[in-house]
Amino acid sequence: MRLKRKWIAVVMAAVLAIGTLAGCGGSPAEPSAPGGQETKAPSGSDETKASGDRELVIFTWDLMFPEELLKDFEEKTGIKIVYSKFDTDEAMLQKLSAAKGGDYDLVIADDYIIENAIAQGLVQKLDTSKLKNYGNINPVFQSQFFDPKNEYTIPHGAGIPLIVYDPEQVDFEIKGYNDLWNESLKGSVALTANSRVIIGMTLQAMGESMNTEDPAVIEKAGEKLKELAPNVRMIQDDNTQNALLNGEASVAYLYTSQVYAALNANPNLKVCVPEEGLGFGVMGAFIPSAAPNSAEAYEFLDYMLDAEVAEQMFEFLGYYCTNKAAEALIPEELRELLVAPEGRTMEMVENVNNEATETYNKVWTEFKAACN
Amino acid sequence: MSRPASGAAAGKIGGAGRRSRGVWLTALPLYLFTIVFVAGPLVYMLVLSFQTKAEGWGVEQVFTWNNYLRILDPVYLDTFLQSLKLAVSTTLLVVLIGYPFGYFMAKLSQAWKRRMMMLIMIPFWTSSLIRLYGWMILLQAKGAVYQTVRFLGFDIDPLKVLYTYPAVLIGMVYALLPFMMLSVYSSAEKMDWSLVEAARDLGASPMKAFLSVTLKLTMPGLLSGVILTFVPSMGLFFIADILGGNKIVLVGSLIQDQLTRGADWPFAAALAVVLMIMTTLLIFLYQKVTHSTELEGLF
Amino acid sequence: MRNRTKLPAVFLAAVMAVMYLPILMVVIYSFNASKLTAIWGGFSLDWYGKLFQDREIREALVNSLVVGGLSCLAAAVIGTLGALGNSRLRLRSKGAVEYIATLPIMIPEIILGMVFLAFFSLLDLPNGMLTLVIAHTAFCIPYIYMMVKARLVGMDHSLEEAARDLGATPVRTFFTVTLPLLLPAVASGCLLAFAMSFDDVIISIFVTGPKVTTLPVKIYTQMKTGVTPEINALCTVMLGVTVMVLLLSGLFRRLGRRTGQ
Repeated sequence: MRLKRKWIAVVMAAVLAIGTLAGCGGSPAEPSAPGGQETKAPSGSDETKASGDRELVIFTWDLMFPEELLKDFEEKTGIKIVYSKFDTDEAMLQKLSAAKGGDYDLVIADDYIIENAIAQGLVQKLDTSKLKNYGNINPVFQSQFFDPKNEYTIPHGAGIPLIVYDPEQVDFEIKGYNDLWNESLKGSVALTANSRVIIGMTLQAMGESMNTEDPAVIEKAGEKLKELAPNVRMIQDDNTQNALLNGEASVAYLYTSQVYAALNANPNLKVCVPEEGLGFGVMGAFIPSAAPNSAEAYEFLDYMLDAEVAEQMFEFLGYYCTNKAAEALIPEELRELLVAPEGRTMEMVENVNNEATETYNKVWTEFKAACN
Repeated sequence: MSRPASGAAAGKIGGAGRRSRGVWLTALPLYLFTIVFVAGPLVYMLVLSFQTKAEGWGVEQVFTWNNYLRILDPVYLDTFLQSLKLAVSTTLLVVLIGYPFGYFMAKLSQAWKRRMMMLIMIPFWTSSLIRLYGWMILLQAKGAVYQTVRFLGFDIDPLKVLYTYPAVLIGMVYALLPFMMLSVYSSAEKMDWSLVEAARDLGASPMKAFLSVTLKLTMPGLLSGVILTFVPSMGLFFIADILGGNKIVLVGSLIQDQLTRGADWPFAAALAVVLMIMTTLLIFLYQKVTHSTELEGLF
Repeated sequence: MRNRTKLPAVFLAAVMAVMYLPILMVVIYSFNASKLTAIWGGFSLDWYGKLFQDREIREALVNSLVVGGLSCLAAAVIGTLGALGNSRLRLRSKGAVEYIATLPIMIPEIILGMVFLAFFSLLDLPNGMLTLVIAHTAFCIPYIYMMVKARLVGMDHSLEEAARDLGATPVRTFFTVTLPLLLPAVASGCLLAFAMSFDDVIISIFVTGPKVTTLPVKIYTQMKTGVTPEINALCTVMLGVTVMVLLLSGLFRRLGRRTGQ
């Protein structure tokens, strides 16, 4: 018996050793690749190395820029981009504060977390004179609560979560949040997983503020939210639109980029701009306080503010365009999706005090438990 | 940690005093690493669990019991209960499938044992996330199962399995089954089958022989399989997230929630401490029952 | 043996079939031309082409191999020596240290990830390769420690005694007698540890730095953003390599046996 186990150990050791060798040896040069297309990638990276050691570490979610733009920037400037990704805003802040505002050169994240990052002294003031395209920014998206004097951030897209549904499977017209509670939608609603956005939506449906700090009101929203539970198919932050596309759900409350992706994949889907009120958020780009390559970060920011580049970026990203000059370049058929609606009352999710935060967290946990 | 005064205490087994320092030196790296990088972080977690969440972001160094008191809220107690429920049902299913598997596997010929062992090991070399993704492909509303059934000529509605409790259960059982198989197998393999034969020769029914001999002798493997299934299933939150559509709140996902959206590290730490105490008690119980210090099967 | 039925074989085969079903799906859909899994868009090798051009995946794979290799190495040294030393020490703290050292595989991973992140930032250690290796070493040690410990129990200590009696120094005894006897245990512990390190998502997510991503973390983020067929292709390649190596080693073994006769 011992012998047998030993034998297995030895075989697996061989697997490991050979696998490791093959992996290590194979990775840089990829000799085992079929077809031979693989020569492209290494030559590309050699090029960037040859043109100097300038580097830029960007820290944001996955899929924030189209690959072509990153390549174009690398080629034009000779700066090598290191694209580091995070999962959630909070993970970003945790990493950034662990690094004492260093390690990363440019961060793009959500409004409320930027307020925290600024309060912790992790963000440096921008010298806007270094950005010749600064004037392209649409001022509507500036001077928000997290950066009232526009000292720290450049807006990088805005979003309004909307309801999207499949008219073939929903036999009435959805006009607002309250329609999500409709009994005919049993087990067919997909929601994003941001607790403040979902509870905020419920609060708006009740005619309250998304940022209420009154525990009683939050609890009441929690009660109402629990009644939604039988209708909920899934709660997920990423790719929620896929649930709609592959038939898992017939209605979904989605972030702007997801609305965009859903409609691009299936133009028959219908969008509802809820009548009760809208939530609103801005993503901002900032340079951390101890960024090792801030000069490169400015170069990148300026590049992204260029009208044509920004237009390309927003077409890929699917958030509302925060660049006035780029807005003019957006093709007619995409305008509705990429230009934010005007004249609506909108509210941003802001940070609330500890007691309220605890209540929001509790209500959220109760809601999820009720969905099960 | 109480550090020993010197090598004097260490020399007893070898008898020779000059040897003790060498022995102590070999154990030193383990002691250092364990104290600095395992005990250290865990103690820090304990400290953190008694601190206060700062307004906005971060932690204030103010002592409080509040984080533990919050766990007593029915919502969070219910989370522990739900986690226990899922862990128990997962473990039960894993026992029902894994025990006979390990048992039958131990009865195979040497060549087949080897093949089986490899078949169990191969999936370990692929990503566990990807294997979960395979289940998603299968269970989707219009996924592979649906398409196959339709292809066979049956007209069915799109499945509603994904994002439900059964889907989570499938994922959990799938992920943890190999541990049970291996534990039971290793126990059954070591077993002296002549004892079963003897029991049968003495007139015991197959059932009786199984219960009084086989089950008893494979108990260490079974129990260690139970530990290896139960403990991780308390914390495996991403299966519930991916296959359950985030609807089942487990202690693991609650901790994750506090770390991310809630930004409440002290509360997360308190939850973690309670979870750790629970799992530790379980392992302690295992050691008391089996009188062994290590888990069967893996080691 | 009496009353042999086909039932056990059928059961074993059925369970194995279910175990491999999702893996089969992943393999099949790596050849799917469509990006969506709900649609079969025809046979295609595109994802393999994309995979071999993907710089990020390649870097992540190398990182994973490096992290796994380094932490296994560190854990092998620490774990083997530790088990050896601990078996000969008579200290009251022995049990406690053993308990704490094996805790990393006994407690849920999320706790470990969380405490490591908090602790490393307390120590001012920048997240990156170093923190990854430390964290992985912490959960690799138990596998190796336990294996070696089990092996030590069953080992014949008279050989060591003989070497010592013949005048070998402790160091020499260790390298010429003890280590070779322990090697199988160390190797199988390393294998298990490497497999766990190579597949770890939860702990790694917490301690990865700006420039270092491991393969499972990469897969995790890609799964979230939905670019998966490429990952299917990667998984298929990994599977292919594993199976091939296993088959080859089986072949060599058979050849070796034949020539041995």
